[in-house]
Amino acid sequence: MKLTETHYRAAAAVGVLVFLWLTFFTVKETEFVLVTQFGKPVRTITDAGLHLKWFFQTANYFDRRLRIYNPRPSEFLSRDKKNLVIESYVAWKIQDPKRFIETVGDAAAAEMRLHDIVWSGLAAALGTHDLEGMVSTSPEKIQAQQVLDDLTGATDRAALAQYGIQVIDVRIKRLNLPEQNKQSVYARMRAERERIARQYRAEGEEQALRIRADADRQKEEILSVAYKTAEKTKGEGDAESTRIYSQAYSRNPRFYKLVRTLESYKKIFDDKTTVILSSDSELLKIMMRGESGVQ
Amino acid sequence: MSRWPFRRILLALVALWLVTSIYIVPADQQAVETRFGKVVGPRVMPGIHLSLPWPIDRVTRLKVQQLQRLVVGGDLSDGVLGRTQPLVSQFLTGDQNIIHMRVVVQYWVGVPADYLFQAQDVAKAVGAAVEAELARRISRRGVDAILTTEKAAIQEEVREAAQKRINEYRSGVLISTVNIEAVTPPPEAADAFRDVASARADAARIVNEAEGYAGDVIPKARGQAQQALEAAAAYKQRKINEALGDAARFTQVAAEYERASAVNGRRLYIETMEQILPRIKKLIVDKSGNLDLTIIRKGSEPRNPQ
Repeated sequence: MKLTETHYRAAAAVGVLVFLWLTFFTVKETEFVLVTQFGKPVRTITDAGLHLKWFFQTANYFDRRLRIYNPRPSEFLSRDKKNLVIESYVAWKIQDPKRFIETVGDAAAAEMRLHDIVWSGLAAALGTHDLEGMVSTSPEKIQAQQVLDDLTGATDRAALAQYGIQVIDVRIKRLNLPEQNKQSVYARMRAERERIARQYRAEGEEQALRIRADADRQKEEILSVAYKTAEKTKGEGDAESTRIYSQAYSRNPRFYKLVRTLESYKKIFDDKTTVILSSDSELLKIMMRGESGVQ
Repeated sequence: MSRWPFRRILLALVALWLVTSIYIVPADQQAVETRFGKVVGPRVMPGIHLSLPWPIDRVTRLKVQQLQRLVVGGDLSDGVLGRTQPLVSQFLTGDQNIIHMRVVVQYWVGVPADYLFQAQDVAKAVGAAVEAELARRISRRGVDAILTTEKAAIQEEVREAAQKRINEYRSGVLISTVNIEAVTPPPEAADAFRDVASARADAARIVNEAEGYAGDVIPKARGQAQQALEAAAAYKQRKINEALGDAARFTQVAAEYERASAVNGRRLYIETMEQILPRIKKLIVDKSGNLDLTIIRKGSEPRNPQ
């Protein structure tokens, strides 16, 4: 009797626990819960915390966190018929679990759908833009941001309406060229570098020549100016000395003539000179005639 | 009586259970407290804290100050091993060149609750955002700018833009640095790029040499010029002084001469003749006789045959 009562109590306690277990459930911050009744969705719980349901209902958990999906890199053709390999990513999360479970079911399937939307969106966008719209050194030509913003918006609208998925971002992670185009790009890069190297060397040469020529010109200028000044100075000296001489000599022209003539004789007559002297020359008069030669 | 140990055990268990409501957050960490999965303490600072006992409240601790690293354009080990992965590191520049880059991103936890609950793979989200912003910055610059002057600007722009982007993703991360660890031209064109660098050096060298030449030639010319000027000044001074000296001497002698011009004139004449005549050959002929000019030749023959 006593034992039976204890059994009852225990059974009741277990029953209550099971009932509570089936009735209460927790929802984490990372989750959405879709409550289904015999497989039919009845309610979506987006608030984290402790929640109640009927014991015959089931809680289905969905990861509500942001996910990053990387589609495989794909080759696209731009409007100007150039190939571009684009690697993109999609940041997405489940927004409407009911729609999500009804249409796609799991993440892998969702990503396949996203791939299709993004791929066709990119293909369409590239088809209406030149390569320069994606890759260019002139920023005003680049349309990539606009294209991606539009694509994000369009993908988000489509995915939300169809699959209950929110697309936060579609971005291009990487732009590249197809393998078969790379060799020609490398060749072009090499040619470009060679041109730049030649240009650097030529510019260096140009500058060096300019510096040397300038130095030479300065040298000539300095020397010629100095020559000019030096000659002028010398001329002043010559002029001054001439003036001094003429001033002195013109005061005694007779004496100057005598002295200067005698001076020049000393230079004119050397040991190769033969002089024929007349016996009655001034010098020899006395020799020939004795005292009477003196006048 | 037999119930006593059972109750004690039960009480001990309850006490033990209540103890789980006390928790400690170490100094370098922060914690997030959740109640039935809902965040009630989004940022619990270091110290001792009280919560409801397990499993009602749960505490997740995070080392918020610990920098986490990730690499765009390769693996973390690439830098250590000196390895490159061509396909992973290739970027397309604005002038349609291909360059290789490896970028290291460092980040830490900014908002613990977001970091824990908002993104499935935070590192992947950060990496994607940084890579997208990097590719975008690279695709609008020329290869020269990227290799030389723009590196710092790119790092800063990418950090800022990627931070904005991951804020939109609510991943609770603060990017500390975006560091371009390696940026190199593709190996297929590396030698051409090196040649550009050496061309630049060559140009600088010949310009230097030319400047050296100018530095040598111009001062020398200035020296020569100065020398010429000094020589000219000296010449002028010498000419004038000589003239003054000569003139003074002449004037004095002339004054004496004037005093007895006949005698002095004769004396000067004879003195000069004395100097001249010993050196020269002399033929003295009588005034009346005819002059046979052959004697000149005869006289000169033995000494100087012409």
